[in-house]
Amino acid sequence: MKKWLALAAALLISGCSEKSETQAPAETTAATPAATEAPAPTGPQKVVIYNWTEYIPAAVLEQFTKETGIEVEYATYESNEAMYAKIKLMEGKGYDVAVPSTFYVEKMRKEGLIQPIKKDMLANYGNLDANMMNKPYDPNNDFSVPYLWGATSIAINNKDVDASKITKWADLWKPEYAGKLMIMDDVRDNFYVGLRVAGFQNNSTNEEEIKAAYEKLKTLWPSIKVINSDSPKTPLIQGNVSIGAIWNGEAYMAQQEMEDLQYIYPEEGAVLWVDSFVIPKGAANVENAHKFIDFMLRAESAKAAIEELGYAAPNTAGIALLDEALRNNKTVFPAAEDIAKGSFHQDLGDTVLVYEKYWELLKAGQ
Amino acid sequence: MAPIFRWGFLGLILTLIYIPILVLVVNSFNASKYGIKWGGFTFKWYEKFWNNDGLMTAALNSLTVSIVAASVATVIGTLAAVALHRYQFKGKALLSSMVFVSMLTPEIVMAISLLIVFMALGIKLGFISLVIGHITFCLPFVIVAVYSRLKGFDMKMLEAARDLGASESSIFWKIILPLALPAVAAGWLLSFTLSLDDVIVSAFVTGPGYEILPLKVYSMVRVGVSPEVNAISTILLVVSLVLVVISQLLLREDK
Repeated sequence: MKKWLALAAALLISGCSEKSETQAPAETTAATPAATEAPAPTGPQKVVIYNWTEYIPAAVLEQFTKETGIEVEYATYESNEAMYAKIKLMEGKGYDVAVPSTFYVEKMRKEGLIQPIKKDMLANYGNLDANMMNKPYDPNNDFSVPYLWGATSIAINNKDVDASKITKWADLWKPEYAGKLMIMDDVRDNFYVGLRVAGFQNNSTNEEEIKAAYEKLKTLWPSIKVINSDSPKTPLIQGNVSIGAIWNGEAYMAQQEMEDLQYIYPEEGAVLWVDSFVIPKGAANVENAHKFIDFMLRAESAKAAIEELGYAAPNTAGIALLDEALRNNKTVFPAAEDIAKGSFHQDLGDTVLVYEKYWELLKAGQ
Repeated sequence: MAPIFRWGFLGLILTLIYIPILVLVVNSFNASKYGIKWGGFTFKWYEKFWNNDGLMTAALNSLTVSIVAASVATVIGTLAAVALHRYQFKGKALLSSMVFVSMLTPEIVMAISLLIVFMALGIKLGFISLVIGHITFCLPFVIVAVYSRLKGFDMKMLEAARDLGASESSIFWKIILPLALPAVAAGWLLSFTLSLDDVIVSAFVTGPGYEILPLKVYSMVRVGVSPEVNAISTILLVVSLVLVVISQLLLREDK
């Protein structure tokens, strides 16, 4: 409910300000405030991070302050929509680093809410994995530095389901899995599956295709037993469902509790997301923000984040430091061809409303 | 037959209300991380919470904001209710209908308008803006609670007091306030609860330096809500129970 309200707010705000966007291209507006608003060097140095709760290991933050003397102020949000709405309303001021997910980077970049990253200030930039760079949401990574990434794909309970029989999303439609399925409450992820199985590509803006995906998902609907986004691993561990489309980090955590959980990357490709560091255009401590991002790019920081959070950091040097068991875990680190097949959601502007409409119809059982 | 039905119904409702809370309290002592199976009795989540500076600060901040906001809202709200009840003045009808409007305003609208006002006035987002925001949405609830209690009064008591030479202030302190006290206390508790678990308004009006608990907990969805939250919730539950018991005891002495 709260998420919807925040989404409504986000749409409202983005609607109101469209005029100003068209007048000012992103690059120019993004660059100027940083130059004019020099940070006051008096008092202790600080950097303000806007992020999910405990999304950066506390030890890493402490180490950063110890080494640089820069204090970290850590503020939290509970959805991308809320983060976006607040940064938009505050005109990019107040926060030095934010961590939007995939297509929110694109949205904020297009609207001039974030400023270009000065890569020459990032000594550890070379640690990043080229496979996860230069994606459609931010070509050339001019505005964002990837922090953690993950996938939505198929988790199964080996005891109930034969893993060899599930190789693609379309297999979920097989009648023997009726009443054993779980999905997450995410419109874009589910329509991705519908679009792919119906033979289309992700990020479609064609209403006919979206409708076809909806018709396809409607035939899957009676088989679905649980919709859970808060803790999708729980129904699997409890044995309420045998197959679930869940995040790989959740699947990794579930694997610590149940050995029989297997995670499958289907032929059509999984949904991929990246959470990236960005610097809002009105940030007061731009230099510290770069120092902080550079610190997070260190191999040791990436290692700590992967170990604590169970999601992959696209940091080749950091991955090399990991235990062999974790490094070779295909749930957290899918093979390169699975990454290549995967798809990122893109910002679709108002087409989102078409998706929402059909999603509501599905949820209402029509 | 009737008593069985009555008690059965009551029991069912109480079970539905309290079972989730009970599960939460039990799970706060559960050693198993995901709370699916019983993994043995432990205090480790309480220990972890105690050592988690971020969560501790947020919990204390939340309590501070709620207590301050509820108290200020109760004082202003009680005075407003008395004014609305006792005096005739210009714009009274408008004022009392505005109270209901602000009660029915969707939270997200209030959140965004408050943020815009704070930005326009140049108020730094943090404790002050948070308290002002919380007072704003608590106020109508106090007014309504106290006002409906005052409406049940026999106005002749106040006239009799004035006949006997009581001043306005002694009428307020010796007659109105004692009689309205249960409603005032209810208003305070209601405000306290509303303020303590508010997410939407808080998300918009707080600044980076001032984190509060509900925001932090909601924001945990990205990595999964940790069992420490069960421990915090249990502590908060105990705190609120103590507050309710204290208020009940205070009211009983007054009778």
